[in-house]
Amino acid sequence: MEIVPQLVLNSIIAGSVYALVGMSVSLTFAVTRFFNLAHGAVAAVGGYSVLYLAKTLGLNLGLAVVLGIAAAAATGYVLERLIFRPLRTRQASSMMLLVASLGAFTVLQALLAILFTSQFQSLSGLAPAGSLHVAGAAITIVQLITLLVAVLVLVGFWLVLTRTRFGKAVRAISDDEEVANIVGINTHRMIGYVFLLCSGVAGVAGILVGMDTGLEPTMGLSLLLKGVIAAIIGGVGSIYGAFLGAFLLALVENLGVWQISGEWKDALAFGVLILFLLFRPQGILGKRP
Amino acid sequence: MEYLIHLAVLFSIFSILALSLNLVVGYTGLLSLTHAAFYGIGAYVTGILMVGHGANFFVGLGAGVLAAMLLALPISMVLAKFRGDYYALVSLGFNVIVFSVLLNWQAVTQGPLGIPGILRPELFGLVFSNSFAFLVLALILAAGVYWLSQAIVSSSFGRVLKAIREDEEALGVFGYRTQTYKLVIFVIAAAMAAVAGALYASYTSFIDPHTFTVSDSIFMLAIIVLGGLGSLRGAAVGALVLVLLPEILRFVGFTPDIAAQMRLVVYGIILILLMHYRPQGLMGEYRL
Repeated sequence: MEIVPQLVLNSIIAGSVYALVGMSVSLTFAVTRFFNLAHGAVAAVGGYSVLYLAKTLGLNLGLAVVLGIAAAAATGYVLERLIFRPLRTRQASSMMLLVASLGAFTVLQALLAILFTSQFQSLSGLAPAGSLHVAGAAITIVQLITLLVAVLVLVGFWLVLTRTRFGKAVRAISDDEEVANIVGINTHRMIGYVFLLCSGVAGVAGILVGMDTGLEPTMGLSLLLKGVIAAIIGGVGSIYGAFLGAFLLALVENLGVWQISGEWKDALAFGVLILFLLFRPQGILGKRP
Repeated sequence: MEYLIHLAVLFSIFSILALSLNLVVGYTGLLSLTHAAFYGIGAYVTGILMVGHGANFFVGLGAGVLAAMLLALPISMVLAKFRGDYYALVSLGFNVIVFSVLLNWQAVTQGPLGIPGILRPELFGLVFSNSFAFLVLALILAAGVYWLSQAIVSSSFGRVLKAIREDEEALGVFGYRTQTYKLVIFVIAAAMAAVAGALYASYTSFIDPHTFTVSDSIFMLAIIVLGGLGSLRGAAVGALVLVLLPEILRFVGFTPDIAAQMRLVVYGIILILLMHYRPQGLMGEYRL
C-alpha cells in the first residue's frame, strides 16, 4: 500500500460523507438563513434507526435502510414544524433559531444515548463486506457506495433545483423569501419539503458512517460541524460549493493526519474554517456579499 | 450538610461562569460559545502549577487568569471580524481547538489521563481543606466577580457595551471604537472564567479535558439564556436552577447514567421553549 494514493482515496471517502452533510446543510441554510445545528443529530437518528430495525428487529437490510432514511427525514420535518416554523413566523432572529436548534440537538443526542446507550456500536456486520484495490490503495465496498451516493445526491440536487417547479420555488425562496411569498409561493410548505429532503440526505450520511466506522450518540456534532465547514468554505448556499468544500476539507484533514497526527483533525478543520472566513469569506464558489 | 455545601460550591463556580459569559452575550450581544475554553485554561494552569511545581493556589489562580487573558486577546481579535451566527460558529471552533490542545498536548496536560492530586488552597498557613472554608472562599470570589460585573455594567463603559448590542453601526458613527470595547469585555470575561476554572480544579482535585468541551459552553449559555440575558441577578438565578436540576432528577429516581442524559434533555427543552415563549429569559432585558 502506497501512501499518496491511499491518502487521496481516504480524502475522497471522507469528503463524500462531508459532502452529503454539507450539501444538505447548505440547502437548508439557503432557504432558512440559519445554521441548523440539529442536522447532525438527525443524521445520527438515521444510523440508529437502521441499527434498531436491522439488528434488533432483524429486518431485511434494504428495508431497514429505506425506513432509516424515512425516520431521519421525518425527524427533520417534525423539528421544522414544531420548532423552526413557529419561530420564523414570529420573526425570530437567526441567533434565536440557532439557539433553538442547539436545544433540539441536545435533546436528540441525549435521547439517542438513553435509548441506545453511549457505547460505540457498529453497523458493519450488516453492510456488504470486501474491498477493492485501486492504484495501490484499498477501498471497501461501503466506502465505494458512499462515494457513489455522494455523487448521485449531487446530481439529484442539481436536477431537482434546475429542472422542477419545486426547485424553482426553492431558488426563489433562497433569493428572497418575502418576494417569493408575494408571487404566490407557499414558502412554509416549500421549506418543509426542503427539510424533509435534506434530513433524508443527512440520514443517508448517518447510515453510511455507521456502516463504515460506527455509531455514537455524539457523532452528530462532529458530522454537522464538518458539513457546516464544508458548506462555508464552499460558499454558503451553494450546494456545488459545499461539494467541493467537502473534498478540500477532507484533503487538508488527511494531509494533517499524515504529517502531524490523527488527534488534531478537528482542530485542523476549524483552523481551515477560520482561515477561509478571514481571507475568503465568500468561499470557493460564493459571490462577494 | 456536606451535600448542601457541595451544591453551594458548584453554584458559586457556575455563577462566576454565568456572570462573565453574560457580560459578553447578554450585555454586548456577542453569542460566544467558547467560554468553557477559558474555564479550562484557568483550571489547567492552576492544576499544572500546583501539582507540577508545588505552587500556591493563589499563584496558580493568578497565572491562570493571566494565561486566559493572553489567549482571549488573539481569539477575540479574530472574532471581531464576525457577527451573528458566524460569530457563534467561529467561537465554537476555538473551543474545539482548545479542547484538542488540552487532550493532545500530552507532555504538558497529560491528555485524557488528566491531572490528579490538585490540593486545596492555602493562605498564610490557613488551609481551606474543609469544605466549609472552601465554600467561603468560593463565595467571596463569586461575590467579587458579581461586584466587578455590577461596576462594569453600571459604568459608562457598560453603557457603551449595551449600545453595541443594540446598534453597533450607529455607535461607530458617534466615533466610538466599538472593536476595542468588544475586545476588552471579552478578555475580562475570559479572566473571570479562569477564576472559576481555578476554583473547580482545586475543589474536585482532578481535572480532565472532558469538562471543558463545547457542550459545557452550551450549558453555560443555557444558564444565562434561562436566567436572562443582560441581567446579573438573572445569571445567578439561572446558575441556581440549572445546578439544582440534576439533583432533582436524581431524587426522582433515575439511574446516574440516565439522569445525566435526562439533564441534557431538560436543558435542550428549556432552550427551545425559551426561544419560543420568552427569548429574554426569566429576568433578562435583551433578546438574541
